[in-house]
Amino acid sequence: MGSQRYPTEALRCWGKAKELREEYYLNYRDAKARGGLRWAGGAWTFDAIPYGLGDDVYMLTSEPYGASIAFNKELALQCMEAAEKAGYPRDLCSYMRIYWGSILLDKYPWGGGYPKPDFIWQDHICCSHAKWYQVVTDLEPDIPMYCVDVGVGPYHQLTEHKIKYVADQLADGIEWLEKVTGRKFDDEKFIQAVKNECLSTSLWAEICTLNKAVPAPLDEKAMYSLYVFGTLMKANKKVVDFYTELRDEVQDRVARGIAAVGNEQCRLMSDTQPPWGFLKVFRYLERYGAVSVGSLYTFGLEGIWEIKEDGTWGPRTTPMAKGIEIKTRDQALMIIAEWNLSKPEWQHFYHPQLKTDMMARIAREWKLDGIMLHYNRGCEGLSCGIAENRLGLLKEGFPVMTFEGNMGDEREFDEVSVLARIDTFMESMGYKKLY
Amino acid sequence: MDIFREWYHDRHRYAREWKEKTGGKVIGYFCTYVPEELIYAAGMLPVRILGSHEPQDVTEPHIFGMYCPFCRDCLAQGLKGRYDYLDGIMIAQSCLHIRQAFTSWDIHVPREFSYFLPMPHHVQSPRAYPFLREELAAFKKALEDWTGKTITDQDLDRGIEIMNTNRRLMRQVYELRKREEVPVTGLEAMYMVLASQMTDKVEHNKGLGEILAELPNRKLERRTGDRLMILGSENDDTAFMNMVETVLGATFVIEDHCTGSRYFWNEVEWQEDRLAAIAARYVDRPPCPTKDWPKRRRLEWVLEMAREWGVQGAIVVQQKFCDPHEADIVAFQKALQERGIPTLFLEFDVTVPLGPFRIRVEAFLEMLRQEDLF
Amino acid sequence: MITAGVDVGNKYTKVVVMKDGQVLSKYMVLSGFDQQQAAEEAYTRALAEAGVAREEVRCVLATGAGKGAVTFANDTITEVGADAKGAVFLFPSGRTIIDVGAEEGRAIKCDEKGRIVDFAINEKCAAGAGSFTEAMARALEVPLEEMGPLALQSSKVIPMNAQCAVFAESEVVSLIHSRVTKEDISKAVHDAIASRIISMARRVGVEKDLVMTGGVGRNVGFVKALGEGLEMAVLVPGEPEYVSALGAALAAAERAAG
Ligand code: SF4
Ligand code: SF4
Repeated sequence: MGSQRYPTEALRCWGKAKELREEYYLNYRDAKARGGLRWAGGAWTFDAIPYGLGDDVYMLTSEPYGASIAFNKELALQCMEAAEKAGYPRDLCSYMRIYWGSILLDKYPWGGGYPKPDFIWQDHICCSHAKWYQVVTDLEPDIPMYCVDVGVGPYHQLTEHKIKYVADQLADGIEWLEKVTGRKFDDEKFIQAVKNECLSTSLWAEICTLNKAVPAPLDEKAMYSLYVFGTLMKANKKVVDFYTELRDEVQDRVARGIAAVGNEQCRLMSDTQPPWGFLKVFRYLERYGAVSVGSLYTFGLEGIWEIKEDGTWGPRTTPMAKGIEIKTRDQALMIIAEWNLSKPEWQHFYHPQLKTDMMARIAREWKLDGIMLHYNRGCEGLSCGIAENRLGLLKEGFPVMTFEGNMGDEREFDEVSVLARIDTFMESMGYKKLY
Repeated sequence: MDIFREWYHDRHRYAREWKEKTGGKVIGYFCTYVPEELIYAAGMLPVRILGSHEPQDVTEPHIFGMYCPFCRDCLAQGLKGRYDYLDGIMIAQSCLHIRQAFTSWDIHVPREFSYFLPMPHHVQSPRAYPFLREELAAFKKALEDWTGKTITDQDLDRGIEIMNTNRRLMRQVYELRKREEVPVTGLEAMYMVLASQMTDKVEHNKGLGEILAELPNRKLERRTGDRLMILGSENDDTAFMNMVETVLGATFVIEDHCTGSRYFWNEVEWQEDRLAAIAARYVDRPPCPTKDWPKRRRLEWVLEMAREWGVQGAIVVQQKFCDPHEADIVAFQKALQERGIPTLFLEFDVTVPLGPFRIRVEAFLEMLRQEDLF
Repeated sequence: MITAGVDVGNKYTKVVVMKDGQVLSKYMVLSGFDQQQAAEEAYTRALAEAGVAREEVRCVLATGAGKGAVTFANDTITEVGADAKGAVFLFPSGRTIIDVGAEEGRAIKCDEKGRIVDFAINEKCAAGAGSFTEAMARALEVPLEEMGPLALQSSKVIPMNAQCAVFAESEVVSLIHSRVTKEDISKAVHDAIASRIISMARRVGVEKDLVMTGGVGRNVGFVKALGEGLEMAVLVPGEPEYVSALGAALAAAERAAG
């Protein structure tokens, strides 16, 4: 529609992505009936470790779970209201409130009641992360909980003892897992999962790197449905395979000049989780020929990156590619701890400047015209320092607009006023609606 | 007793005079997990950065409005230049809210020295001890690099001694609050703790020593009345405390705030490795909610205090948008109520609306008194 | 060349008709429920007053929350864009524009041509805008128009928290009960909203000269509080509520000229 400049094509992997996601939630639901185990934890948790308990162990990660429910505005609202009725304040993380609501209402969107996990395996990132599951254990006191602290400081200041602190907690966690599940921990399976995680998170970064191309082969709206596997089961072989296939397909799109948005004339990036119930904001942007090609959030929440020899940003070289052979549990723990601590979307917890620098790099390397910051009331973690990011990016000379909203709580999103802001922003950059 | 209030109100003058007198350096800190032992050992004055409870309009460009008003009030002080005498600023890892006050300060009001200490969150894990010990060693080195002076074991012992004495004396004051007729009001106790966070503790200890000589025989001009506990986020809202105690005739006999008991409760226990000893003190102290998991240790401690101090009702306060406390409040209110301690929940802002809050507290007290009757 | 700007606000609809940089006429009506009809009415009246026939108008731009309802407009311009244009036309030295209407407050930073450099708009909360004063006037039991002049008679500083209109209202009530004068309370109210607006304006960075537009510009109490809070002179046009419509008419001329 409206001044098409580039050819477009639907993604071939699309069906596979849908299938994989569906299967994930059903596997979790049905694990018990098949004699398996199931566990719960956050999207950032060290999920490679429970793979050591066997092949019939399934997890439900809480943020994507909250986001899935947020798509369904009605159910999301019911969940949040249930949490509020139980006394939990409305300004807490909206994923968390949705999650508690799904327990309180005993509802699972894929059918049945809330599927209680056998154990909780979490890590503590923002102020709410460990507390999220602590409240779950308030509601369901017989679920055992383990949680790892990753708050050792920014990656560029990492030292051996900091990595060891995380690795040691994980080692204790393994003993704890053996105790609460009564299963023997299989180091080989675990080491394989560590390798998978390094591969999948590096592959995702590689896919995002391909989006430097003009026109962008992927738009952020599509990326949301694809990056999610990193948050669901980044240490699973299936994700490695899927991302490999996706990488090949995106490479092919770039080679053939296939665009995500055919009338691309203005490249943007966003920041933090979007208001899931209002992804139509991205459709609205297309009327200006504007496409969001990603964000630090979609790139670096699960993607692991490094600065390449030519000084640009690209996928981090895996330990395997460096010829490192992973032989022991301790070695694998140190590797996976260090790998996770290099996560880009983690550095701003320590200083906004670290994020501003990465965002400015994206803006330059991905050839952006402007930046849209979602001041997300739903997530204290990813909104942390966002006002300073705005100031920093303005100082670097990029046009920046902000809009307030909430990834999960649509009551905090004012559609009319956000669209009006977009109009003003586009007008100020000199773009006119194409249709 | 007035001296504590004066120190609190004249905090900036105090620090400036201290600098003039001693020629030493002043470090402003944002969180009570900062190991002041090391700062005293380095011969410097640690002062806690607190807000001023005035509506302000300078932080909006720096901290998004979803974070707590306390962290914004603190930052406002920096942006307005009220702490221009600071030589350094630092924070220990606690919540993300106050950390933003620190980082924005770091960007816009830079000082000679700026330090983030990764205080572990997993304080219920034994791994936290060696980790923090190493972090303290790194911090000590940073201080030494800054001043060019080595911090010796004797220095550390002196730092520990100053801090421990203060803790011991404060505990003695708090012991007296167990009495049927308490010799100090909650507001007075609050001033004592607050003053200890912004003065040279050697001097503060002296003040405490003097007051402790009188306290056992001190009689307040009024009866203790309803014995209240106040707990939750940071709280130096003296106007609120004063309103409840003078207008409504109840008394706060104990509290759980980082501007109160949580700050000074436990001492450093001697170990040959001084840094390990200090680390253990901070890992073991009454936790801030963001570090209190998987078990609810803080809750056990609060219930214990409520029992020992004969608490009849608890006011649970929370800075608006304070995530760490918000995740605790439901569990706390439930547990307190199960033990026959009614609770009242209030949300604090930079200034609290005294009128509406008075009505709420009044109704709460009326309810407590009714329960007494039956 | 004759152009017109139509600003359909939630409360009032305003029209400005211009010819070669000169204002020919202005007209304002209540927006009511039917914005389309209000726009039509205001436009017809404004044209009549200017003595201009419809066909003579080269270009009409609509702006304001209800700009979509202006069926006779050639195009639209955002409120922020129109605001900046109008303000810089009236005060060429204006670089920061603060616009406070009944429901919305905004701050705009612009260049010498009235182009937007950055902008901030208050989020959905009445505490930062005109309706807050209305609520407080009700609590004080004084007519809205008197709030501003009353405030000028006081020099007391009473900190008040304007985060929430409901709490602020009960604060006003308790101030009345403790016998604080209406003058002082009125000043406290204006200081409080001004502080909210200043807070937002600091996001874009306040640079000289500062122009205030929007209906609240008529409130002397607010203007004084704003100037004091920012330690800056505040330039207020004679009819601050017409600035957006004026800006739209100016932009219409630019567009028609190509
Ligand atoms: S607030 Fe954000 S970072 Fe924290 S638990 Fe929620 S989604 Fe995660
Ligand atoms: S603990 Fe709560 S009150 Fe204290 S700084 Fe953090 S968010 Fe604010």
